[in-house]
Amino acid sequence: MSTVEIQRSPTNSDRRRSALPSLERLIEHAAHLLPTQGPISVFVHHNTLHAFEDLPFAEALQQAKQVYGCEPYLAEDRYRAELDRGRIRCDDLAVVLQDDLGDRADELIGLLGTRFHLRLAMLAHPLRTAPNEELRWVIAETDAARRFRRDVAPDARRRVIESTRRWIMRDFRNGREHLAVAPYAPQLAPILAELLESFGQGTIDQWSDATWEAFTLQLLWRICVNGAGASAPTRTESPLRRHRDLLLQAAGEDADELTHDVLIRFCAAFLDQGLAHWGLPNRDRGLFAAFVELFGSRGGVLPHWLRGLRQELVRLRDENTQPLESIEESLELLGVGDDEREPFISATLLALRGWAGMIWQLETNAEWTARPAPRGTLVEYLAVRLIVERFALAHIARECLGYRGPLRQLRSFASRHGSCSVASGDLQRAFVFFQLAQVLGLRPEDLQSLPENTWSRLAAEIETFPEIERRRVFQLAYERRYRNETLDAVAAHARHAPQRQARLHETAPDFQVMCCIDDREESFRRHLEEVHPRCETFGYAGFFGVAMYYRGAADAGFRPLCPVVIKPQHYVEELPVFTCEESHRRRARTRRLLGVALHYVHRASRLMIAGALTSAMGALASAPLVGRILFPRSAARLRGLFGRFVRPPAATQLLLQRCHPAPGPDDGHVGYCLSEMADVVERTLRQCGLTSGFAPIVVVCGHGSSSLNNPHESAYNCGACSGGRGGPNARAFAHMANDPRVRSILADRGLLLPAETYFVGAQHNTCNDAVDYFDLDRLPLVHKSRFSGAVCAIDEARRRNAHERCRRFESAGLAVTPHAALVHVEERSEDLSQARPEYNHAGCAVAVVGRRASTRGLFMDRRSFLASYDPTQDDEQGTILAQVLAAAIPVCAGISLEYYFSCVDPHGYGCGSKLPHNIAALLGVMEGAQSDLRPGLSAQMVEIHEPMRVLFIIETTPNVLQRTISANPVLDRLVRNEWVQVATLDPQTKTVCLYRNSRFEPYQPESGELPAASCSVDWYRGWRDNLGYASVIEEEWVAGCDATGAAQ
Amino acid sequence: MTGDQVFNAVGPLVVASPAVLLALLGMAALLGKPFSERTTARLVQAAIVVGLTCSLTVLAIMLASDRRLLSLTLGNWIVLPQEHFRFTFKFTFDRLSVPFVILSFVLCGTTSAFASKYLHREAGYHRFFVLFALFLLGMVASSLAGTIETLFAGWELVGLSSALLVGFFHERSTPVTNGLRVWTVYRCSDAAFLVAMVLLHHVTAGGDFIRLLGSRPWPEGEALLTSGQALSIGMLLLVAAAGKSALVPFCGWLPRAMEGPTPSSAIFYGALSVHLGAFLLLRVGPLLEQSFLLCAMVAALGLATAVFGALAARVQADVKSALACASLAQVGLIVAEIGCGLRYVPLIHIIGHACLRTLQLLRAPTLLLDYHALENAIGNRLSNVSPAWEPATPERWRRRLYRFALERGYFDVILDDCIARPFARIFQWCDAAERRWTDFLAGGPSRESDALGVPGPVPVAEELQ
Repeated sequence: MSTVEIQRSPTNSDRRRSALPSLERLIEHAAHLLPTQGPISVFVHHNTLHAFEDLPFAEALQQAKQVYGCEPYLAEDRYRAELDRGRIRCDDLAVVLQDDLGDRADELIGLLGTRFHLRLAMLAHPLRTAPNEELRWVIAETDAARRFRRDVAPDARRRVIESTRRWIMRDFRNGREHLAVAPYAPQLAPILAELLESFGQGTIDQWSDATWEAFTLQLLWRICVNGAGASAPTRTESPLRRHRDLLLQAAGEDADELTHDVLIRFCAAFLDQGLAHWGLPNRDRGLFAAFVELFGSRGGVLPHWLRGLRQELVRLRDENTQPLESIEESLELLGVGDDEREPFISATLLALRGWAGMIWQLETNAEWTARPAPRGTLVEYLAVRLIVERFALAHIARECLGYRGPLRQLRSFASRHGSCSVASGDLQRAFVFFQLAQVLGLRPEDLQSLPENTWSRLAAEIETFPEIERRRVFQLAYERRYRNETLDAVAAHARHAPQRQARLHETAPDFQVMCCIDDREESFRRHLEEVHPRCETFGYAGFFGVAMYYRGAADAGFRPLCPVVIKPQHYVEELPVFTCEESHRRRARTRRLLGVALHYVHRASRLMIAGALTSAMGALASAPLVGRILFPRSAARLRGLFGRFVRPPAATQLLLQRCHPAPGPDDGHVGYCLSEMADVVERTLRQCGLTSGFAPIVVVCGHGSSSLNNPHESAYNCGACSGGRGGPNARAFAHMANDPRVRSILADRGLLLPAETYFVGAQHNTCNDAVDYFDLDRLPLVHKSRFSGAVCAIDEARRRNAHERCRRFESAGLAVTPHAALVHVEERSEDLSQARPEYNHAGCAVAVVGRRASTRGLFMDRRSFLASYDPTQDDEQGTILAQVLAAAIPVCAGISLEYYFSCVDPHGYGCGSKLPHNIAALLGVMEGAQSDLRPGLSAQMVEIHEPMRVLFIIETTPNVLQRTISANPVLDRLVRNEWVQVATLDPQTKTVCLYRNSRFEPYQPESGELPAASCSVDWYRGWRDNLGYASVIEEEWVAGCDATGAAQ
Repeated sequence: MTGDQVFNAVGPLVVASPAVLLALLGMAALLGKPFSERTTARLVQAAIVVGLTCSLTVLAIMLASDRRLLSLTLGNWIVLPQEHFRFTFKFTFDRLSVPFVILSFVLCGTTSAFASKYLHREAGYHRFFVLFALFLLGMVASSLAGTIETLFAGWELVGLSSALLVGFFHERSTPVTNGLRVWTVYRCSDAAFLVAMVLLHHVTAGGDFIRLLGSRPWPEGEALLTSGQALSIGMLLLVAAAGKSALVPFCGWLPRAMEGPTPSSAIFYGALSVHLGAFLLLRVGPLLEQSFLLCAMVAALGLATAVFGALAARVQADVKSALACASLAQVGLIVAEIGCGLRYVPLIHIIGHACLRTLQLLRAPTLLLDYHALENAIGNRLSNVSPAWEPATPERWRRRLYRFALERGYFDVILDDCIARPFARIFQWCDAAERRWTDFLAGGPSRESDALGVPGPVPVAEELQ
């Protein structure tokens, strides 16, 4: 076979060897373009286009479109629909366009008006296009060239028709064109003659309005066709890099289909983390060696297109060829020159990017998995891939094109063979001119006399505002509308912040709650404050500063609970309390027995004989089957009831303080020392500005989410805990802050925690809105009644929170009561058939960093991250601000950008519909029986999202913020390149400055009014869609709450 | 009311309820006015509750009156007295069909409840339930069939809806390719069924199972055929069953069928559709008994499938393929049991296996959570114990076996390369020969289509800037 024959000369192979290190670097470089999502059980939101963060946002999107072939913005029609429904306003478009064009806006394009007007018309009116045949049909058979488009204003239409009528009657009636005075274009005469002929020149005086309209449009169309012929097209084709692309174009057969069929199965077997019961032989020798051993041995059947693979692999084994050498050899055989290696290798790796990316992640970033991949696996994968690909290419070339020559000439052969004549595009250009002329109200009379260079100018002008640019402008307008609404609302609401602050601080609040900055906690906090106006809430990243490896009483191993960027130093363990140790041991034994039995059944059901035995009992499976699907909530309760006997005892404690100096996972090293605890508590309290005015009860509330049948479950958990649940962090923090020894250290450092203040750890389940509290047995009895007051308020708040969430779920009626809403969300989290247990971060668009007083009582529709920060407690350099932003900006940007990309292209950047997902190798999901691994978010997760870059509103001055951002390269990159939008809210004057063009500019509010509602429910009741801002009046509620409290 | 009257009232409803459901959903789709999600779900629920209640009533009647065979004839559609041919839709309720029809209703009911939430807001929601109704009708018709024609009709409906549901996400190419593959295998095996049917008519002058298998209730019938006739007809029916139940060598399609939404994979390929072949063999059990050779073939085929399925299930690294292969192992075993002359054991085996596999497939997306829970309970990473034979096998053989299992027994490759490719080659050759002739006769290029060039991707809609 031709692919195998290689001329081997010593010089050749020496040269090859010397190129290897650079080749390895090339591959590593290309690997950065691969998706960076690791194993799905630890799902961390991150910027999908992280590799492009060095570029400005718009430019990065453009480049990424070429690299990945994915959509950078929503479809143009989607934006137009938003324009129609008022989500984008025309003045947004105008302002954005004006800003975008700057000085070039007012340049005249021939006689056709300014560039600004031309572009605005192109934005406001959809310009259709089609292949030649379809266009011809449209012109000949439809009303397109007989009636004006429906979006042309009636008076503009009348004006054009009437002026054409007068022009024709004046100059051309009765074949008097030679008498015409004006200098008409020479080609006009035959067109007119033919048209007049076909419309019946004799009866021209009796033509109806409709005939005149048809005549005008026909004339316009022909003039446009002429004009399009005169304008010179300028177009560049993107070069096709890979042989497969050219073959696909020439022969219509996809070589990747053949290649991937082999590769996906093999990669899944190689990377498998324990799903298959029988692992790949020789796995420990690496991917390349395992492949060579498996397919290079006798005794298998190869599909016809892989004939010769065995001999090739035997040759590689005999020559002891290393993977890199094999790649080098494949590249030579494929005729890939040195200059195009980098794009070729990137494109080849990206062809199966999910699996390649997972290999790279397992190789570089996943030492915690059961079976990480050894270094160099990606290189080995590429080597295998190129070998298989060579066979697929040779096969298709032979079968479809009859080509049997060497592969290095295949590309030139295929491009010759498949040089399908691309239509010149004249017709399409003419059709665009034609539509533009209609919407701009241009008259045939004016157009016919345009000189050739004006037509070319127009063509060039249209070409410089292609679809992707139009969508970019739409996106800017889309973001501008929401940004202006947000800034107006926050500025208007913040004006009353000092009064709110003062009123709250008249006496110490009854209790304080510290939540995660998560957008889902916005509504929870708002409702809590509505229910109990004498409480105060704070937002801090959900790990509360406790970066640890944690092992629960029933867990097998430690898992990190902190943001991914931090590598924890400390280990914390949950242990049963002393009196429960015996029952804990007993239950652990039972759990173990049950686990072993279940695991056995699970395995046995896939075997033959054992499977028959389990199947014989299989009818028993109908009970859980029917129960869990038809009655999910009752079934869950029943399971909970039985689970009580094996669950670890409720009374546990954290092993939080260590006795040895060095932290570690072993006995005696688990935990923190006192000064480290004091550091954690001090940092967290200072950062969220809680340094005085402590309430007697401070609830520290982490969050997590529980759902079933959801491979992406960990994406719903706390992003600041590496996709884990934040309860243990909250519990540990409360422990530390309650420790009197820690408090005395803190007092020495000037942070006084009153003796009567008590911290309680808790966890909010964002899916079923349950709140669990930890270590209540230790609660001092003097606090009991205060605490039950807090619990009472929190219970009401979570009912209302569930109620507000239910407005987005179509399966919950709009008239549902708060209690029924809570039942509904509880059912959702236990329902096997629920593809949307909750909507997670969908909708997130804003992040406010500042005092809660600025936003307290502002209805933000669960769309805002809320981080607490008190500028009055910060120094002039903004030291605390720098710490807060260093965590907040990357985390919120990561979430918002991942949602952005998964939403604009759910099938390219996202993982498509959840319905056919299939868990592969315990690492990720495939679509259907076999496909590439799909990173990103599912269509069900993003369906109600509005893709926008997150808008940060930071309570500080522009100067401080500018300094803070420039000091941190990560933030600098994100902000300067506009991956996030940033605005400041002045702590004193409450004026807003917006970061644009690398500096902060004052923002002029559009309106100072903010609608008011007496409570959140009044504002959102009856609505499914996104809602605007409103200010919720608190005073009304003081009375209302007392009434409810009394009723209860 | 006597048992007979009640039976005459409820019996037809068992078949009518899915038929009415299909008519309603299908008409709505044809008129372009699909029902809302809620209405669709309610209709499906109602049809299944009616069908299930009626079949339970029939069961009660049978138990109460101790009758083991009740039949229901719907119309004489075609009567050809000279040829002794009558075409009727006849449904029988006996110890085989009643459990099977109840199983169908229970599993379809559960799965439809699952799907009505799972597919919420999916564009193909209504299409899914139209196909679902088609499937339900096919399942009920073939389980209750009293004539071989009725069985064939139901069998075809099941095949059609299965293939269309594999290609449910038709905007991607793999589901469509795999759907076509399933359809092709079904066509081949259905052709064998059709030939078997014609032969049966030829031999027994009718398609009624009573004529064929005697009037004694299942499983005690006795085929009125010679062992030679039984062998030839039985072999054809075995091919039909092998296609439907994905037995060797057709087993490649089952893992590929996991393209649709999870509930459809569960109900079709995990639970019901895949057992239909075994059901056919159970139904014609008395015929199998006529020929020892036939029984041996059935048992051998079943055993081969079981061994292959168990091997393949051990190496699959994605959950749905693993479950599909595990299903194969059990279906193979069930067929082997039938070949060994067992009747009630395979029936119980089918029911248990269908329930278990449906639950496992519906829960497939929760696998990560389950593994995590198991790891926590056991307190360690899950280990995979190798079976006793494994260490005893030499390494070389183990590698071969692994590759055999990973490549799914090479069955697809062999079918593609040894049957599909030569088949296509022959026709391509005929085409080329015809072209040569017509060109010769026309004295020049004679085909207009040749001038259009290779049917590559057309230069589509030049994006206008």
